[in-house]
Amino acid sequence: MKWIIDSDRPIYKQLVEQIEMRIISGAYAPGDKLESVREMAMDAGVNPNTMQKALAELERMELVFAQRTSGRFITEDLKVIEEAKKNLAVQEIGAFLEKMKKLGMSRNEILVLMEMVAEGEKEDDHIKH
Amino acid sequence: MTILSTKNLTKIYGKKTALSQINMVVPRGRIIGLLGPNGSGKSTFIKLAAGLLVPSSGELLIDGQPPGVLTKSKISYLSERSYLSDWMRVREIIAFFEDFYADFNRIKAENMLKDLDINPDDRLKTMSKGTKEKVQLILVMSRQAELYLLDEPIGGVDPAARDYILNTIITNYKEEASVIISTHLIADIEQILDDILFINQGELVLTSSVDEIRETHNKSVDGLFREVFKC
Amino acid sequence: MLAKLIKHETKATSRIFMPLYGALLILTVFTKLVMATFAPDFFSEAAVNNPVAEVILGVSFTLYFILIVGICVMTLGIIIQRFYKNLFTDEGYLMFSLPVKTWELVLSKLLVGLLWSAVCTVMIFLTFVIFSLGIVSMMEITQAIQSGYDEIFIKTGLNLNLFMVELIVFFIFETISSILMIYVAIAIGQLFSQHRIVAAFGAYIVITIALQILLSIIMAVSTIGNLENLILNSSNALTTIHWLINGTTVFNVVLCIGFYFVTQYIMKNRLNLE
Repeated sequence: MKWIIDSDRPIYKQLVEQIEMRIISGAYAPGDKLESVREMAMDAGVNPNTMQKALAELERMELVFAQRTSGRFITEDLKVIEEAKKNLAVQEIGAFLEKMKKLGMSRNEILVLMEMVAEGEKEDDHIKH
Repeated sequence: MTILSTKNLTKIYGKKTALSQINMVVPRGRIIGLLGPNGSGKSTFIKLAAGLLVPSSGELLIDGQPPGVLTKSKISYLSERSYLSDWMRVREIIAFFEDFYADFNRIKAENMLKDLDINPDDRLKTMSKGTKEKVQLILVMSRQAELYLLDEPIGGVDPAARDYILNTIITNYKEEASVIISTHLIADIEQILDDILFINQGELVLTSSVDEIRETHNKSVDGLFREVFKC
Repeated sequence: MLAKLIKHETKATSRIFMPLYGALLILTVFTKLVMATFAPDFFSEAAVNNPVAEVILGVSFTLYFILIVGICVMTLGIIIQRFYKNLFTDEGYLMFSLPVKTWELVLSKLLVGLLWSAVCTVMIFLTFVIFSLGIVSMMEITQAIQSGYDEIFIKTGLNLNLFMVELIVFFIFETISSILMIYVAIAIGQLFSQHRIVAAFGAYIVITIALQILLSIIMAVSTIGNLENLILNSSNALTTIHWLINGTTVFNVVLCIGFYFVTQYIMKNRLNLE
């Protein structure tokens, strides 16, 4: 698994984000068992304490739960995952709109361009397949 | 009980003050970076903790006790120097460590040597400097110590080996143990550190967790270091 | 821990001494064979007139003496080198971080140094034995020693066995104090931040001179009192030598203790590896 870690933000926050992405995208399926903290830390090349902090945060977010002796698991509550997906999408959209505002685009212009780009991507997909 | 604590720790050589009034505490289960420019006193600090130097004044305690035979058995020390006898074969050095340290794990050492393609029958004097350093590191990390003191562990090593070494460090220490890494190559190890101690000209100028620094200053520890110690 | 240090120290030094002594024995046997072949009557008059034998013998014995001297020098050299290199250069970083006491580090080196000094002596003796094989029989020697013992006992009432023991004890402590004097000089050299080896040599010379002066004073003081006895009475002369040897032994013991503690103190409290 590829982990992308920036140097100017707290590492644990970045780990939380990336694990969250994987849960939302289904790379980690609901109910999946996570590897041990040490293994995950080794995989990401980070301190086990840092990974521990990230997992604790994910537990707080209820995306992950710990069963005393068996380890950590992805939640099976699809509603929570949906919620997280929506929140993340809203965040991305918010940031996107901010940027567009800076470029001086109007709501219509944004929507039109979005359609264009989406069509273009669909065509690319067709061509690929 | 914290694994290492100092109170007004001072070391003076003749006219030069290498360390001055150092007060700090290292909790268990942390990886700590001891960072600072060359000649700042990092090595002196590590040597004091390892029992190779005696404080001029002040106090240094390992698990509540001053440095001595007992603390040395709890500490696994990696020197910046090549401290192994050149004429020995790798397997003889493994036997040596096994003899003197009850917590030495031979199997772990042998596995790591295999990973790095090092032949246990080779004599140290036939090895390159980089390989010798790897052997030293393997020996140090094969111990189940309470405190690891690593003085410039990645100094002269190639990037691939560097990753292996960092990986070895994070996967090998037991939960209640701590690791102190002294280095001037911050960017390369920042990712695995919990906390950092900045030392400059013998004084402790900053104690913080890595997360705190990134959140407060919005830059990496390496970035902050360059700023703080700009020439 | 001390046993482990001794084991390791023996291992480290054996790899140098074993081949050396092996070479010495081979050369001795070779010389002996040459002697036996070309000059079987070494101790007889005939040998003196045979120039070829003389030359061969001359060369062989010269080589032999060189080797003997070489081995003694090497033994001394290794003792010095082991202490300095293993404890005060890069290897010291390992040795001093081991969970052992400082005195164990000193003692282990001392005991092994003593061991090799003893081996050196035994080896030299062994070579003499090899040379004298067939020329002088063991029986003859034993008889000669026995009659010598008896004669001295009759003349002076002195038991040579006891004297031998005292002599051996004397040599042991003489060796120990020599080794410790080297150690303490090296340790004193470490107190300096630069030119440590030169400082060590300097310390050694200073200590030697100081001891010479001290010894001279002691000798002068005790001899003046006994001068009459020395000149007039030969049996008392033997007793005086007796006391001289034991006195020097005691003096050496005191030196040993002093040197040991100073060395140990410096290593424990003033260690500063470069």
